[in-house]
This record gives sequence, structure tokens and C-alpha cells, in this order.
Amino acid sequence: MSKYIGESVKRVEDKRFTTGKGRYTDDIVLPGMTYAYILRSPHAHARINSIDTAKAKNMDGVVAIFTGKDIANAEINGVPCGWQVDFKNGDTMHEPPHPLLVADKARHVGDGIAIVIAEDRYIARDAADEIEVDYEILDAVVSPEKAAAADAPRVHDELPNNMAFDWSLGNPIDEVDAAIESAHHVTSLDFVNQRLVANAIEPRSAIGHYDTTNDHYTLYTSSQNPHLIRLLMCAFVLNLPEHKVRVVSPDVGGGFGSKIFHYTEEALVTWCSGQIKRPVKWTAERSESFVTDAHGRDHVTKADMAFDQDGKITALRVKTYAGMGAYLSTFAPAVPTYLHGTLLQGLYTTPLINVDVVATFTNTVAVDAYRGAGRPEATYLLERLVENGAHEMGIDPAELRFKNFIPAFDGVDQPGYQTQVALQYDSGNYEEVLKKALEMVGYDDLRAQQKNASERRTL
Amino acid sequence: MNQVSITVNGKKHEREVSSRMLLVHFLRDVLQLTGTHIGCDTSSCGACTVLLDGKAVKACTFLAVQADGRQVTTIEGLSDGNGSLHPLQEAFNECHGLQCGFCTPGMIMMASDLLARNASPSEGEIRHALEGNFCRCTGYHNIVRSVQHAAEKIQSNA
Repeated sequence: MSKYIGESVKRVEDKRFTTGKGRYTDDIVLPGMTYAYILRSPHAHARINSIDTAKAKNMDGVVAIFTGKDIANAEINGVPCGWQVDFKNGDTMHEPPHPLLVADKARHVGDGIAIVIAEDRYIARDAADEIEVDYEILDAVVSPEKAAAADAPRVHDELPNNMAFDWSLGNPIDEVDAAIESAHHVTSLDFVNQRLVANAIEPRSAIGHYDTTNDHYTLYTSSQNPHLIRLLMCAFVLNLPEHKVRVVSPDVGGGFGSKIFHYTEEALVTWCSGQIKRPVKWTAERSESFVTDAHGRDHVTKADMAFDQDGKITALRVKTYAGMGAYLSTFAPAVPTYLHGTLLQGLYTTPLINVDVVATFTNTVAVDAYRGAGRPEATYLLERLVENGAHEMGIDPAELRFKNFIPAFDGVDQPGYQTQVALQYDSGNYEEVLKKALEMVGYDDLRAQQKNASERRTL
Repeated sequence: MNQVSITVNGKKHEREVSSRMLLVHFLRDVLQLTGTHIGCDTSSCGACTVLLDGKAVKACTFLAVQADGRQVTTIEGLSDGNGSLHPLQEAFNECHGLQCGFCTPGMIMMASDLLARNASPSEGEIRHALEGNFCRCTGYHNIVRSVQHAAEKIQSNA
């Protein structure tokens, strides 16, 4: 078929990586370059009463310091969310501003307070230590579910209940409720799909370079998504024509999703470079990555799966509280909705499915798409329900799956399979795949060994 | 400021550095040897591993002044400089021992320390030696195979 199939294909990029000649963002040094350090909130939720930068500004080697007030005075917008999910009742999604540096209050540990630009990394960090911030510490909310309570602290003062949006998909909830109430057996589970940090090994880094001669900006950024970042930064944040901005994404040391999004630091170093007329480099420290890289997951879910006396799944009901963090990151609203709800048919013929999502703001780092993004969360809860249902009903878990698989369809002579949750599958033969997998692992022997070990209490 | 004389990849560098300057910043920012990476700032990830007098150290938690009068080898100095690669560099390519490449210099420098001590390490010994080096692309199996393959190459050339 191809000279590549079955052959070992050598990567062409390895030579530079194995000899130390890779070119990651922090490796780039431009003439006259300055180094930025971003002072960040140590508090999850705190009003900023005042910031005193006078002492820091007077230190040798400090080039400039900007605070949230400077950003607000320059009328620079925050970074936008790129995916709108409106409320069930038609109200527009709540998208509070995500400023490059906050002026009024910090909404999560790591929220940017001030940027210090200096002749080298060490001076920038020293000067940041000399900035005095008077914080008024406020009560914080970190649970996606508790954030929706009427008396929860408000992450954004103007938003009661901390709601970003609510959303549902599938069959009418009363039909699903009725099927669950009249079912032969119902398996119910609570899930906490905990938030996590992607932790790419290369910390995020960005260099803004304003070319005064040509009135042109270049942003170097450790990113999976330079084209979209140019669009978002130009059109929504800095109000620049795209032909005046080049975004370069050189070698990138991993991302796993976390480097897809448009981050405040990218627009910040670009803008700062225009202000001081010199290149500005910012590179995250690892502890900074933990509190500024978009996190993943953070779903709190209650799910019920109904079965008839033959073990056929008759209904599925899923209620998820999805923590968005303090702001809406670029694609965050898509994750618990279009990437999660649409996967809940799984491989099964479940005739009635309803998924209901409440997305809330919390005093935590913004979440976004990470490895699979919503789809692993959906698959995990679905398969846990099937597995637990099988155990509760005393049916072999493989047998229960065979009972419920969508029959094989090739999508050519037979039509695609229309799910209850919007997607149409193109083709599938789940029964054959599971049969083959069971043969490969020697399923019957495995279960016999398991039973034997269990009786001898060695497992 | 302190006057230091540090030999890096065979070349002596005499520079003034502040007492607190990290060796990794001396290599990257002063000498522009950017093959040595910073991943964690805390000697957890090993991306900054270099050889100091032939032994692996993590340059992100080592001061430049501590390297005064000593020999440092970085990834840029591992091969002979005549275009041919070190067997470890070849083996990482041949065994697909890297993906994004960011951890690779540290992995290779740590492995070169191991092979200098133990020419024919077992899989377990390789895994033990590399326990302080993180790969976030999850390539550990092929990294171990790369080191084994490099050991075989070195032995067959000896």
C-alpha cells in the first residue's frame, strides 16, 4: 500500500532535538530584549485596595511596570472566550471580562496583578518583590456545585449564582425521569472528575516584539494554535489589523491541549513591547504554570442508568456541574457540553438519554480542553455505570455490553446510527471488536482465575 | 560579582557572574547554549541535566560560581563536533526515544553519565538512573530502549 506501512520511519526533526539545537520560545534572544515577571495574586479571592510600585520602579535595571489600572486606562479588552453556549431559556452566556491584569480584584491564585519589565530575569523578580499590594481577602468558592448556591461568594460581583450557562441535550427530561422511575433496576453513581494540570514539560513562554520602523508586531509563543491566537489577539484584545501582526510558534515542548488557548500573557507582552519599544520576554516558572496554564476536567456529576429485566438499558440521566474556573478560557464552554453530552450514547442502544449541565465560575484557574476534553469524562461515567449495573444485577459485564451494543452497521449499505444526543455515527461493529478483545485476553479463563483467587482471598 | 573560569564543552570561559546566578542561566543566557532546558526550576524534572567533571548535575539548582575551575559538558558538546553524532543521539532517533524533544538533552546527558559508570546496564538499572528525568510525552519505554541500544552500539564499536 505504501512504502511507509510496516517500515520504521525516522523522524526528520530529531537531529536538532538530540544535539541541543531545538528552538523553543525561551531559547530566542532578540537585540535589546527585556525580561518580564508577572506579580500574581497569592489569594483565591481578594479585592485590590491599592498597589504601590514606586520603590520597584526606581530600582536599577527596571524598565517599566504596568498594573491592571494601566491596562484598563489603555482600554485594552480581556482575552475572549471563543465558544458561546447560551442558557436553556435563550439568555446569552455570561462571559465576564478576563483582563490581561486585574484592577479590581483577584479571582484565583495566580491572577495577574502587575508586570515588571527589566534588563534581566533576576532584576524583574527582585523588583516584583518590592511591589506593595494591599489586598482585602474575600471568601472563596472552589466547588462547581456549591458555586451555584444562592449564598455562595460571587466570583464576579455582577453574577448571582456564579452561572456561566446551563445546557441540556437529548430526550425530554420527563420521559427520561418516567423511564427511570418505572425501571426494573437503576444504577446510580456520583462522580468527581477532578481538575488537573496539564504540565507540559516546557513552561509557557511568550516574546512580544514591536518593530518601530514598520509599525509591526511579532509574537513568539509556545503554542499549539498560532493562527487562531493571532485572530483573537488582534480582533478582540489589542484591536490591531492582522497584517500588522505575525505570530510565530517555534518548537513546542508539549501541550496536551493546554497550549491551544489564547492566554493573557501573549497579549500582555505584545502590548508591553509596543509601549517600551523593545522586545519583552516572559517565561513561566513551574509553580506559575500550575496557577496559570488552563486546567482540565472539574466535573461533578450524578448519573442514573435504568435497565429492564433482560438487562437492556432503557434510560440514562446525567446531571453535571462543570467548574469553569474564574474566567471562560478559549474553548471551555464546549468541553462539558458539545464534547461531553454528545458522547453519552456510547456504544449502546439506550433509547432515552438526557444530559443537563450547569457551568459555574469558581475561584480557581480557568479550565479548558485537555486530552480528550469532555469525551473521557463521558466515556468514564458511561462505562462505570454499565460495569456497576452488571455487578448489581449479577450479569457478566461483557454479556451486559453484548445485550446493549448498537448492531453492526457499515454506513454504506446500512445508514449511519442516529444517537439520542445529536451525533450520527458513521459506522461500527462493536460486538466483533469486543469478541476479539475477549478472545485475545482469554476472558473466560481470566474470570475463572479471578473467581478462584477471590475464593482464596488472594485478590 | 565574582570572576569565574568555567570550561564548557572544552572551551574555557572567563566571566563575571553574580553569586546567585544559576549554572543553567550561565549556560543559556550568558553562553547562549540553549540546548540545556529549564522545565521545573526545582531539580525535579531533569531537563537541565549537564555533566560536571563527568558527573550528571541538574543545572537549575546549581550555582555558576560552584562550577568555577571545573569542566561542564552540555548536549551541544556531547558529539565530536565533526558532524557525527554520539551513539546516544543516534539511538534516540533510531528507537523513537523522543517526541517534543524538550526532555531529550537531559535524558541523553543523564544516560551518558550512566553508561560511563556502567557500560552494559540492565533495563532496571536504566530506569533507576533515569528516575530524576521526566518525559511528559510518556515516552519512557522507548527512552529505555534507546539507552540499551546506545550501550550495544558503544560496546560493538569498542
